[in-house]
Amino acid sequence: MSLEVKDLTKTYNASHGKVTALDSVSFSVSTGEFASIIGKSGSGKSTLLSLLGALDTPTKGEIHVDDINIARLSPHKQTAYRAKKIGFVFQQYNLIPNLSALENVMLALEFGGMRASERKERARELLTAVGLEPDQQLRKPAKLSGGQQQRVSIARALANKPAVILADEPTGNLDSETGKKIFDLLHDLSRTEKTTIIAVTHDLDIAGKTDRTYMLKDGKITTKRG
Amino acid sequence: MNVVSRGIRNALRSPLRSGAIVIMLAISITLIVAMLVARSSVNAKIEEVKGSTANQITINPAGIRGGFGGGDPLTAEQVTTVTSTAHIGSVASTLTDQAGTDDTNLTPSLELGSFGQRMQRFETSTGDSNGPTDVIQGDGSSDSAPARPARTPRTTITGTTDANSIASDGSTLTLTSGATVDSTSSDLVALVGKTLAEKNSLSVGSTFTLYGKTFTVNGIYETGNTFQDSGIVVPLATLQTATEQPGAVTSAVATVDSSENVTATVSALKTALGDKADITSSAEQAETSVASLRSISSLATTGVVGATIAGAVIVLLTMTMIVRERRREIGVIKAIGGTTSKVITQFVTEALTLTLVSGVIGIALGIFVSGSITDGLVTSASAAPKTTQGQGPMASAGGMRGTGGPTQRFNQGLQQVTSTVTPQIFMGAAGITLLIAILGSALPAYLIARVRPAEVLRTE
Repeated sequence: MSLEVKDLTKTYNASHGKVTALDSVSFSVSTGEFASIIGKSGSGKSTLLSLLGALDTPTKGEIHVDDINIARLSPHKQTAYRAKKIGFVFQQYNLIPNLSALENVMLALEFGGMRASERKERARELLTAVGLEPDQQLRKPAKLSGGQQQRVSIARALANKPAVILADEPTGNLDSETGKKIFDLLHDLSRTEKTTIIAVTHDLDIAGKTDRTYMLKDGKITTKRG
Repeated sequence: MNVVSRGIRNALRSPLRSGAIVIMLAISITLIVAMLVARSSVNAKIEEVKGSTANQITINPAGIRGGFGGGDPLTAEQVTTVTSTAHIGSVASTLTDQAGTDDTNLTPSLELGSFGQRMQRFETSTGDSNGPTDVIQGDGSSDSAPARPARTPRTTITGTTDANSIASDGSTLTLTSGATVDSTSSDLVALVGKTLAEKNSLSVGSTFTLYGKTFTVNGIYETGNTFQDSGIVVPLATLQTATEQPGAVTSAVATVDSSENVTATVSALKTALGDKADITSSAEQAETSVASLRSISSLATTGVVGATIAGAVIVLLTMTMIVRERRREIGVIKAIGGTTSKVITQFVTEALTLTLVSGVIGIALGIFVSGSITDGLVTSASAAPKTTQGQGPMASAGGMRGTGGPTQRFNQGLQQVTSTVTPQIFMGAAGITLLIAILGSALPAYLIARVRPAEVLRTE
């Protein structure tokens, strides 16, 4: 089992009182599976993703990735975990604007601990794998289309051969055709690289094509498919 | 590309903004360097003035100052008393005399003028200019003279144990040719003032007659002072012997081992010599005279601190603005595995790059303008020391009539502050530049540490 979530709860103290963003959420995803999480705005999707990605710590519960409970890691180990075990794909792509596509991928490799001499070659391989031409690899994000930027983002996420890729609305900013291509790319990667992918999406069509779908409502998983 | 090269590259991310920041910072650093140079130069001058004069005590025989007054010169015993007083390191003793036409074959180079005539108005002329003088004889031999000499200019002879004591700026006497004399000897050698030498066509090795003896010119000196450059300097013992005044001294300048001991030493000398001598120290006068320089030093220190704070605030505001702008980028770097320390290192490198570029420009500009800024500060603050100057030759404690003593000497040079960029100033400016970068980066670093990577998931 690649990812197992048990009784995950996250509460915040807001000005109007205590807010429960996630309420005793439990689920599991096997290695190489492509799972999707759907839900309305405010249902707790982003909170769940931030906890799975060790960007935040839960109030209660456990998250096991390859038998490590990441919910109890120190901040320092959380950072190392993110660098080596997690790949992020964001709706806004979130590439570093003054670095080229190649350098954006190399940055993730640097944080993953790869030797400097090997980074460029590995980054080229990844960008080629996601369909970026050599001349496009040297462009800065502003000179790339949305779909190309998202491909760079996916290459960056794959850089350190992570156990899990967490995608936050990966097609949310793309037209339907490009969105479909990006989805297919992620889907193929989950098969070829045996990488677990968990994607948060509004797109029910896309969710329907994933191996497993969870619906979140008011911080609780209400429906499960697959 | 590592974290440092990313930081350097980020510094050039917005050329227009970076340029504006560099200009503002460079101005701050220019001011810091100029103030450091001014402070260092003024402090050096203060130390020079205090070191050269503030620990000096002048002992004049009671009633005698310069070439005026009356009374008995100090005796050898009294000079010995001075020399043996605690805390006194060295004593420069001087005996002055004036030689008339019958004392020397040299032609005086000073015109008598109305002042000289008034000074000699009690001397009645017999028409015999070769008669003995009643001015130079301290033993009362003028009583035997049948007539007073004609009113003629005299040549001032200074016998001293330190030939440098007649230098107008208190430093080493400038010789235009030849070598100095051994002031401790009783040789018949002399240093001749440039004007007198030219008047009498004297050069090194020339001889002339003085008090019936043949003296050899050892060197020609130049002080820039017309009176002094018309005189002769010989060893003290030589003049004492030639004028038959064994042990006589008309002025002694004692150097105390430390300026802190000057007051106590003055008291000790007054007790030892009683009413036989007038004792003055230049410590208080020196302190008053350097007061304006101290205020410049304080002003420069304030300027350094102020410019440092201004520089740090410029960096701080700039980096805070940059961190706020790139908050999402910081979140992304943290989300993909970048440690907080790496992100801070990147931003500190960016701040350091901006500061160092500004530092290079600022230090170069600062060195360029420091001279004129120092001059401006010294000139603008010179009103105060001027009030302590202009005390005239009568107030001087030097051995020659009208010759400036230590007080006049340090007042003359007070405005001559030479601005010098020392390695210490360079290191200080570089250190302050680094301090600006560190202080300016502290708050941004704190802000960076507070950025939560989860923020990156917020949809704009």
